Amino acid sequence: MTPLHEGRNYPKNLLPIVGIVMSCLLATQVLAADKKIPRLSNGKPDFSGIWQSTSAADYDLEPHSNRKDAPPSAGSVEGEFLPYLPKALTQRQKNFATRATDDPALKGYTLGVPRGIYYPEPFQIFQRKQDLLLVHQFGHSVRTINTNGTDHPKDPYDWWLGDSRGHWEGDTLVVDVKHFNDKTWFDRAGNYHSDALHVVEKWAFLDPNTIEYKATIEDPNVFSRPWNISVILYRHREKNFQLIEDYRFTLDYDDNYPPKPNKP
Amino acid sequence: MNRKIRPASTLAMLGILCAAAPVHAHHAFSAEFDAEKPVELKGTVTKLELVNPHSWLYLDVKQQDGSVANWGFEFGAPFNLKQKGITKASLPVGSDVNIQGYRAKNGKNFGYAVTTTLGDGRSVKTGGAQDAPGATPGQ
Repeated sequence: MTPLHEGRNYPKNLLPIVGIVMSCLLATQVLAADKKIPRLSNGKPDFSGIWQSTSAADYDLEPHSNRKDAPPSAGSVEGEFLPYLPKALTQRQKNFATRATDDPALKGYTLGVPRGIYYPEPFQIFQRKQDLLLVHQFGHSVRTINTNGTDHPKDPYDWWLGDSRGHWEGDTLVVDVKHFNDKTWFDRAGNYHSDALHVVEKWAFLDPNTIEYKATIEDPNVFSRPWNISVILYRHREKNFQLIEDYRFTLDYDDNYPPKPNKP
Repeated sequence: MNRKIRPASTLAMLGILCAAAPVHAHHAFSAEFDAEKPVELKGTVTKLELVNPHSWLYLDVKQQDGSVANWGFEFGAPFNLKQKGITKASLPVGSDVNIQGYRAKNGKNFGYAVTTTLGDGRSVKTGGAQDAPGATPGQ
């Protein structure tokens, strides 16, 4: 037997083992490459693509049993229920009772934030270093998330989609959204907000085809404290998948839009 | 050649028509408001909504019997107002405002603002509808 420490035989004996280790390492690297998230040339995660949630959030953010107009769901809210102020809860109950006619989505209104994200229609993200452009199939709404370091404007309007300013915290896109109007709901169950709505979104890849979308929502006119929602967004990978025109003015939109304080 | 061009130009025409139709529908004065019913009101601002396609200004108006009624007036598009110097800061909640305009056809407490006079005396034309009467009410 040649002693192991004898230089000449040492590499020869180890060659097959080195080969096995090397191929294992290579295989691991290939697997890792598969799980690598897409990135822009500046290294930031690239969310470009067509996305959609499979959650029941749009039917009702809170846990609910099955209804004629909604499948059952365990809800999408941390802590399960929205922390309504007493007066606002009464309004929410009124909204729920009249949801078949008063849901702004049925009137063709822009869905707002975050409803547009988990509404059961796809939306497409186009992303550049300085901004992300979100095109929603529903109503063809277009939302810009600025990532160029700018702040909210000093003389804002009451936008349907608010004003979105994003920044990166590691691989998470954090977006501050405010300056909304009070004409949108969170879901078709009458959960609502005022024009003091403030949303902070967090977008992060779970894997190259899955985004975890979280939002913290505050509105001191309606809620007693901020609350959080979380939904998963899946990348559409069907062959030739694309957004289809879904312009709401082709429906009975003119009966409801523009919004009026009292319908004639 | 002509055969190829004709469908294209027809499509373009259709496109223009389709694009124009909803714009008109959004801003039709006559659908909602009555040019025969001018109104002039003085009140205090309760809310200004700078919303597209056009804004709304709400004010509390003191009635003859001492009670207060809330009125809503349709304004121009936010960008149009901005060009005229009207922002959120111009009409804060609680500020005085005088409005000349036209009442809604349904007789409820809302109307279409033509001339808005701010608390500082500044007077601006605020209506946004293409088919709205531009003249001062009562003239």
